[in-house]
Amino acid sequence: MRLAVLGLALLLASPVLIRPAAAQPASQADAARAMAERAEEESVLAEGEGRSETFGYCTACHNTALIRRSRFSRAQWDGLMDWMTERHGMNPLEGEFRDLIVDYLARHYGPSQSRARNPFLN
Amino acid sequence: MVRRIERSVQELYRDDPERADALAFGRRGALKGAALAAMGGAVGAAIPFGGSMPQGTLPALFSRPAAAQSGGPALLDLPGKGPLILQGERPLNAETPETLLDEPVTSARNMFIRNNGGVPDAAADPRAWKLVVEGEVNQRLELTVGELEARFPVITRQLQLECGGNGRAFYQPQARGNQWGNGAISNGEWTGVRLRDVLNAAGLKSSAVATGHYGADPHLSNEPGRPAIARGMRIAKAMEEDTLLAFRLNGAAIPQLHGAPLRLVTPGWPGSLSQKWLTRIWVRDKPHDGPGMGGTSYRVPVRPIVPGSSNNGRDFADLESMPVRAILSSHAHGARLPAGTRALDLRGAAWAGDLTVRAVHVSVDFGASWTAMQVADPANRHAWQRWTGRVALPSDGYYEVWYRATDSEGRMQPHAPPNWNPQGYGGNPISRAAILVG
Ligand code: HEC
Repeated sequence: MRLAVLGLALLLASPVLIRPAAAQPASQADAARAMAERAEEESVLAEGEGRSETFGYCTACHNTALIRRSRFSRAQWDGLMDWMTERHGMNPLEGEFRDLIVDYLARHYGPSQSRARNPFLN
Repeated sequence: MVRRIERSVQELYRDDPERADALAFGRRGALKGAALAAMGGAVGAAIPFGGSMPQGTLPALFSRPAAAQSGGPALLDLPGKGPLILQGERPLNAETPETLLDEPVTSARNMFIRNNGGVPDAAADPRAWKLVVEGEVNQRLELTVGELEARFPVITRQLQLECGGNGRAFYQPQARGNQWGNGAISNGEWTGVRLRDVLNAAGLKSSAVATGHYGADPHLSNEPGRPAIARGMRIAKAMEEDTLLAFRLNGAAIPQLHGAPLRLVTPGWPGSLSQKWLTRIWVRDKPHDGPGMGGTSYRVPVRPIVPGSSNNGRDFADLESMPVRAILSSHAHGARLPAGTRALDLRGAAWAGDLTVRAVHVSVDFGASWTAMQVADPANRHAWQRWTGRVALPSDGYYEVWYRATDSEGRMQPHAPPNWNPQGYGGNPISRAAILVG
């Protein structure tokens, strides 16, 4: 319980604010598309080695909101790469390039309760 | 002003959680003395029931999912939609704040949005939209929306539609997917024909055990022919009287974002079984295996697993009937009420998948005592139930409204989100809304 609330408290400490632009297209489908196509800057991701590669590789299908909301361990990020390939047709990420991206994600979007020790896992 | 102090407590927790915890809670657990004063200072008010606050519990003010913090998250701005909490733009996902769920029948405006892929263009002629029913049937059917409406009995029902991941944000370690609080729920009034009437018209073979559903939304990769999602259910649920092929919502055409001109509504089960922009139902001779089936997707452990561990989900079971949950729609989390307020008139809704809700209880003293609310009957089976009630407050100060429902089989919302799983399904802990009086 205590670890849980700590984690959430830390999440709150990093507010993310992106206001949709005020465009008013006629139909919901058009409006949804306009929202989806709104360009993101690489700088919405945390600065660090591997950011450009991550931004380039990971925004083909979805935007960075999915990454920015996430707090995963390296193993979880690594597993997610396979899930995206197996389930969603992402080109497989391999070798050094994979390490670069997974390291970047784990470093900047790692678990929020990093001080917690899970007696069953570590 | 409250906000500034709140920040500093968060910073303290980030920099040195042990010290912050000791400072805020003292070493022996219950809040008292200097620790109580410290926490009172942090929330900007006295905490009248501080004595019964469990050890290590951060005030709900700090511990609610970020999306539930009023003023914090980005809000949706789309034609025909209210100010929902934006979860993401591509894919477009948005959650309804609990206070916008104060309508007994959810308006299209306030209905949460979940997309796995893109939003398709509106059909030029909605009546001519085609549905194919094939597979383990005696006769393959191809029916337009117009034919469906003309050929089968048309019925109208209030039906719960809830994302399978509702409540995911409560899990720690974080579970994968949209970080929904409690607001991925709606209770719209849907009009359509029963799926079972259509399946009976096609004639189910004895080999028919499950359905598989396909829609017109493109996969996020835009790869032609790859479904965004295609889930299915056991045939018994498909043959239930409330499982609809719907073409109207609240008496009007379904909005494009919500699956026009034809969608499934499979009430009480994960929303992913209510396929939007429905084009095809494939009757199967084994459980469906389309994208969104198997692994850890919409599945929960049968034997509980270690939170945060990895698992391929092979031994998991499909999430079917959704677990019991209550929302509070009369008071926003973080609401400030005038000094001297000595009672709260509360309202909300509660539901329990295929079951009903037997009771809703509220506590304003951190769970030390609970007050029963009045729970209305559902408008029909699979509709949510509205609840109302009053709780007394002894003084001004900081309170948390804890609210909890119990289903017709006696199962309550638990204190912590149960049965951790990698994609966070079934998270229905007791909810807490922070209220400041004075
Ligand atoms: C080929 C398309 C594609 C590419 C490229 C891709 N993803 Fe995904 N990703 C998806 C789909 C589809 C989903 C599911 C979205 C949903 O259901 O809301 C997803 C979901 C996610 C999620 C949420 C996890 C979940 O369970 O919902 C994260 C985090 C994520 N992707 C990160 C990444 C990162 C990091 C990269 C770059 C290495 C990446 N994605 C590249 C298709 C892709």
